[in-house]
Amino acid sequence: MQLSYDYIVVGSGATGAIVANSLVEVGVNVAVLDVGVEDEQYKEIIPDKDFVSIRKEYSDQKDYFLGKQFEGIPWETAKVGSQLTPPRSFLTQLTEKLIPFESDSFKPMESMAKGGLGGGWGLGCYEFSKPELDAIGLKEPEMLRAYDAVANHIGISGIKDDGAPYCLRDLKNVQPVSELEQNLSGVFTSYNIQKNSLNKKGIFVGRSALALLTKDKDNRSAVQYRDMDFWSDKDKSAYRSWMTIDQLKEKSNFAYHKNCLVLKFKEHDSGVDVIVKRTDTNEEQIFTCKKLILSPGVLGTARIVIRSFDYKKEQLPVICNPYCYIPCLQWRMLGKEIEQKKTSLGQLVMYLDENRNNFDVGMAALFSYRSLLLFKLIKETPLNYSDARIIMQYLQSSFTIAGIHHPEKGSASKFICMKKDADTYTGDLLTGQYILSEQEIRTNEKREQKIKLALKSLGCQPLKTVYTPHGGSIHYAGTLPFNDNGQMFSIHSNGKLGGTKNVFVADGSGFNYLPAKGLTFTLMANAYNVAKNVLKND
Amino acid sequence: MENKSIYIFEAERIGNYLLGVTVQDSEKNTYADAMQKLNIQLSNYEQALWNSMIKSKSKMACIDAALALKEPNNNARRKLFTMLAIIEASPNYTSYFLSRNFSFFYIVKIGLVGMRAVCRAIVGIFIINSIKRKCN
Repeated sequence: MQLSYDYIVVGSGATGAIVANSLVEVGVNVAVLDVGVEDEQYKEIIPDKDFVSIRKEYSDQKDYFLGKQFEGIPWETAKVGSQLTPPRSFLTQLTEKLIPFESDSFKPMESMAKGGLGGGWGLGCYEFSKPELDAIGLKEPEMLRAYDAVANHIGISGIKDDGAPYCLRDLKNVQPVSELEQNLSGVFTSYNIQKNSLNKKGIFVGRSALALLTKDKDNRSAVQYRDMDFWSDKDKSAYRSWMTIDQLKEKSNFAYHKNCLVLKFKEHDSGVDVIVKRTDTNEEQIFTCKKLILSPGVLGTARIVIRSFDYKKEQLPVICNPYCYIPCLQWRMLGKEIEQKKTSLGQLVMYLDENRNNFDVGMAALFSYRSLLLFKLIKETPLNYSDARIIMQYLQSSFTIAGIHHPEKGSASKFICMKKDADTYTGDLLTGQYILSEQEIRTNEKREQKIKLALKSLGCQPLKTVYTPHGGSIHYAGTLPFNDNGQMFSIHSNGKLGGTKNVFVADGSGFNYLPAKGLTFTLMANAYNVAKNVLKND
Repeated sequence: MENKSIYIFEAERIGNYLLGVTVQDSEKNTYADAMQKLNIQLSNYEQALWNSMIKSKSKMACIDAALALKEPNNNARRKLFTMLAIIEASPNYTSYFLSRNFSFFYIVKIGLVGMRAVCRAIVGIFIINSIKRKCN
C-alpha cells in the first residue's frame, strides 16, 4: 500500500471533497484519509419510485421506513443522530465509539461516513454578503470566484426573486428553480400580495437556492419529484459529497483510503507525518505527505490539532447556530390531498433583515410534512393514538414547518475541551459547554416573535416552538479563529494552521461568525480557496 | 414460541383499536418480530396498565388517552406506537394514513373525534389512578 503522497486530505465531507477535487484537477498526487462508513443495508433495497407509489405497492417498505431493527421508530429522549431516517443512520455510525463527545449543554452531530454530514445536507445554498464574510474573516473577491467555481461543480438551482440577495446574489450558471409544491405555493402567493408591508418590517421571502439539479448534469439526473429526499439519493439530483469522491476514484492521481481515523500529525524537514489508527485492525499507521489539509469537520480538526500540539491548549472556543422549529397550521390547505410529485426539501425561505444591511439576518426555511410518515407526527399530539390518527390524517397537508436559525458569535461560555482519557478509542475525550447569555436569548426570542407574526400574516398559524439542544443546527465553527499572526491554535486567512509550515485547514474552524443562513456552500467555497492557496504556497 | 403467540394476540387487539379492523397476519408477525427485537421492558405498574388495556378496546382507548396527557412516554404506549408505525408502513393500510381530499363537512367529524378523545382521557385518568393505587 502506498503511504506517501504529495497532498493528503483528511475527511471526505463537503470541504474535503472540494479540496481533493480542486487539487486533483491540477494533476497533483492526492490521497483522502477517511473512516468512510457507508450504507450497506438499505441502498439497494429502496425502489426507484416515488413515495406514494412505494407506500401503496411495496410490502417490504417497513424494512427501510422503520429499519430492519425497527430503529426508525423513535421513543423517549432523542440521541444525537436519532432524527436521521434508517437509510441515513450510517452518517453517525461509529461516532460514539471512535470520537465520543460528552456535554450536558452541547450535543453536536459528527460523522465518520464517506461524504460526511453532507450526506444529510438540506441542500440550501447561501452566498454570504460582504458584511457577513468580513465578520467571518473571509475576503469577498476571492469568495465570489470560489462560489461560482463550486456552483459549477455541484449544480445549483434557484431564481432571482426577493430572496436572491440572501442566497444567490450574482451567482452565475444557476439552473432553473424547482417546481414549488402546493403547500408552500400558497404561502408564497400570500407573501407576494403583502410584500410591501412585510418588506417594511424587514421580512423577505424567496425561493431557496438548492444544490438540486433541475437539468441533467454529468452522470446525475434532474430532480424527479419523488419525495424520497430523506431516504435515498437514487437519481443523484441532490448533490452529496460522496459523488465527488466516487468521481475522483476514477483518476490515476487520486487515492481514497478508508478505515483511517487520523489521530495527529508531526511536521519534519521534508513534510508531514500523518498518524492514523486503522479502524479495521486498530493498528497505527503512518502516512507521509508534503502538505496536509485538515477537513474532518470543526470538532474533528480540533481533536487532531490539540493532539498534534501535545495538549498545550485543551480548551477552544466554538460557535453553533441556535436552532428551533415551529410547526404551523396553514388553513388554506386543510383537508386537501398532498400532490404525488413533490420534494421534501425546504423550497421557500423567510429572511428577517431588520437593518436592511444583509447582516445578522434571521432565517426560517419552510417545509411541508409527509415523507417522514404520519406516526411520528401522531406521537407529538396529547391524544390517544386512534383518535390522533384520524385528526392528523386530516391536518397533515396543512402543516408547514418553519426551521429557524439565528446568527451566532462566540463567547467565553461556548467552548470545547479535550482531556486525556485512557478508556476511549483514541485515549482522549472531547467535552464542551454551550450557554447563551440572557441578552442573546432575548434577542433570539424577539427574532422568533417577529418571524411568527410574519408567518401568521401569511396564513400559517404557529402551534408551538420546539427548541433543539445546542448543537442541533449541525453548523459548527470558530475553534481555531482566523488570525494572520501565525499563532498556534489559529488559522491564517490563506488557510494555513498557525505554528505549522505545511498544514492547512479547509473546514469552518477559522470562521469568527456564523450567519443564520446555512454555511455548507460557503464552507465549500472556502475549501476551494484553501486548495488554491495550498498550491500557491508551493 | 409462547411469547410469539402472546405478541400475535396483542397485535390483533392493538390493530383493532387503532383502525377498527382485523389486521392481516403479515402485520401481526411484524409486530411479534418488533417486540422481540425492541425488547420493551414494562415495570409492575406498566404491566398492570397493559393487562387492563389488552382486555378491551374501550379500555385501551381510555388508558391510551390518559397516558397521552399524563405519561406520554409510558412503555405501555410504546407497544401501541410500534404497532401504529408497522401498520402505517404496510401497503394494506395506506388509505388510513396518506392525505386525501376531505369534504368541507369532515371538519365536524374532526371536532367530534377531538371531543371523544377528551372524554376518553377523563375516563382513562380514573382508571390509571386506580391501577396506580393498587400497584402502590
